[in-house]
Amino acid sequence: MEEKGANGIAGIFRRGYRRLKEDMCRPADGGEESEIDRKKRRFVIIVIFGILMSAVAFLISISISSGGVIPVSDAVCSMLSAIAKGGANLNTAELYIYQARLPRAVAAIAVGGGLAIAGCMYQAIIRNPLVDPYITGVSSGSGCFAISVVALGVSIPFIGLNSLYIIPVAAIAGGLIAFGITMMVAEGSGGSATNYILAGVIVGFAFSSVQTVFLSLAKDNLADSMWWLYGSFANITWENAWLVFIPAIGISIISMIWAREFNLFMMGEEQAKQLGLNVSVFKKSMMIVASVLTAICVAFCGIIGFVGLIIPHACRMALGTDHRLIMPASIVLGACLMLFSDLIARTLLSPVELPVGAITAMIGTPIFAYMLMRKGREYDG
Amino acid sequence: MDNLLTVEGLDMDFGSFRALRDITFSLQRGLMVGLIGPNGCGKSTMMRCICKIHDATSGSIVVDGNDIGRMKPSEVSKLIASVPAEAGQTFGMTVMDMVMLGRYPFVDRIWWETREDEQVVREALRTFGIDHLRRNPVSMLSSGERQRALIAKAYVQQPKLMLVDEPTSHLDMKYKLDVMEYLQSMARSDMTVLVAEHDISLMARYCNLCIIMKKGEIRTIGDPKKVITEDLIREVYEVDSRVGLDEDGEIYVLPKRYVRGEKDARF
Repeated sequence: MEEKGANGIAGIFRRGYRRLKEDMCRPADGGEESEIDRKKRRFVIIVIFGILMSAVAFLISISISSGGVIPVSDAVCSMLSAIAKGGANLNTAELYIYQARLPRAVAAIAVGGGLAIAGCMYQAIIRNPLVDPYITGVSSGSGCFAISVVALGVSIPFIGLNSLYIIPVAAIAGGLIAFGITMMVAEGSGGSATNYILAGVIVGFAFSSVQTVFLSLAKDNLADSMWWLYGSFANITWENAWLVFIPAIGISIISMIWAREFNLFMMGEEQAKQLGLNVSVFKKSMMIVASVLTAICVAFCGIIGFVGLIIPHACRMALGTDHRLIMPASIVLGACLMLFSDLIARTLLSPVELPVGAITAMIGTPIFAYMLMRKGREYDG
Repeated sequence: MDNLLTVEGLDMDFGSFRALRDITFSLQRGLMVGLIGPNGCGKSTMMRCICKIHDATSGSIVVDGNDIGRMKPSEVSKLIASVPAEAGQTFGMTVMDMVMLGRYPFVDRIWWETREDEQVVREALRTFGIDHLRRNPVSMLSSGERQRALIAKAYVQQPKLMLVDEPTSHLDMKYKLDVMEYLQSMARSDMTVLVAEHDISLMARYCNLCIIMKKGEIRTIGDPKKVITEDLIREVYEVDSRVGLDEDGEIYVLPKRYVRGEKDARF
């Protein structure tokens, strides 16, 4: 019987993908396929395809602006030329790409990948499909502290914190304080995954209520406050892009070392413990790592939702539950989604720039809904 | 025959509640042992203490000459495997991936298992008749297939002692017998299998030994045909029952009624 959806462009793509998959997974000696080799091949495909996909998204992102589209080759030439000049004596095209688009793209890759992997880590440890990187109160704590700085116009010039850094520093401090309180409450009540969720929710509410008070005091700074709360890469420059990129990508890649340990958690804490994992230490360490990663991601560009919740689920539906595959895939997919979202946010209603968080949801929701309808039955249970 | 498992003076407290009290027994290699008792009598707690999921309040547990209390969790997992009653939510995990988790204690590398690990897993999948389902999500299996997959996961740990918690609780008659046959064949291959189960007739049919528990203590240990009596059932479960032998000489237990008087009747 002809398979449903076998005709048209979707059918061509599906047949092509299946043929490619079969070719890649065919054993060299004609014998039975080794599952481990098959998985290694899939990992290599994910890494290569991911790098290519990110590169394409990156090039598209730097080639399109509110002013129009320039050829990708011109964009690449301008970018390479500007980098070769070290950012000095640039012509207009080079200056525009080097100063305005490149740092945004670099930050978008880091924040997208970082939030996706933080969500992946939380979902594995807490074993709850509704968990996202903001579940432990990090976003509320960051928001509360960042808004307090914006609303009250705080500056600390004598210790060298100008407006470029004071909001991120406050956001990171707030996020980590909120997570610290969540961890204290959760561990004090037994340290179970459910207790972490409950503690995170109440701590989040507490910080959100204080944040609301600061918002009501913001007056002239209300627009800036709202801008931070909905997420934006508008304030990203080279000065802060590296401060997001290096720690976020570094932590994301290092956390993949423990991919097998995350796999153990898929059977529950008791089974993980019975299989020899020091569950208590691993859970606390990874919660801290994921929270630090989240705090770094939200510090410079505000609270961007959806990516950390949906990207790990989408990767699980497509690739299974092995974190050796879904962690690298989450980084790549999160980075690509964030790059395209930022591109749309700054060009769709130009010169008005839209909040990135709204765009991530608009792009991701239909794709995720399609995957859920196809794979939901297997995924549930 | 030497003892594989020796438990001495095991106590387990949860706050002020004493879940296990002075548990002492020993088991030889290659036995299939039934752990029987009413809900809340401490069967699962005792199994969790033995595989070090819970740290016992006092007492000692020795498996194959090793004091479990002094061993690291990673070393314990090479000696003891446990089979949970249910798989829980598995987010679409495949059978192969789940069974492969059982090789975790043996993999020294950071990321990938070896071909030898895969061979062990494939052999276990074939042994339990689920190799053809290896790429299927666990959530799409029938209860019986899922139970076999859980047992296969524990089997690939190549343990000396396997602890199985209520393996037949959701299964029909055919799959109950199927699972018990697999467990019995593992016991015959020199592995000691300790099974907590509510179906006394099934336990009596398959187990070499029964441990009967009540309120955190061991009431009696022995050959099921000798220890399972109507008086014992009345004392442990507080129900009247009929215990008899069928034409094959196997014990069957039929519950009759709640033993307390009319005043205690539920309705």
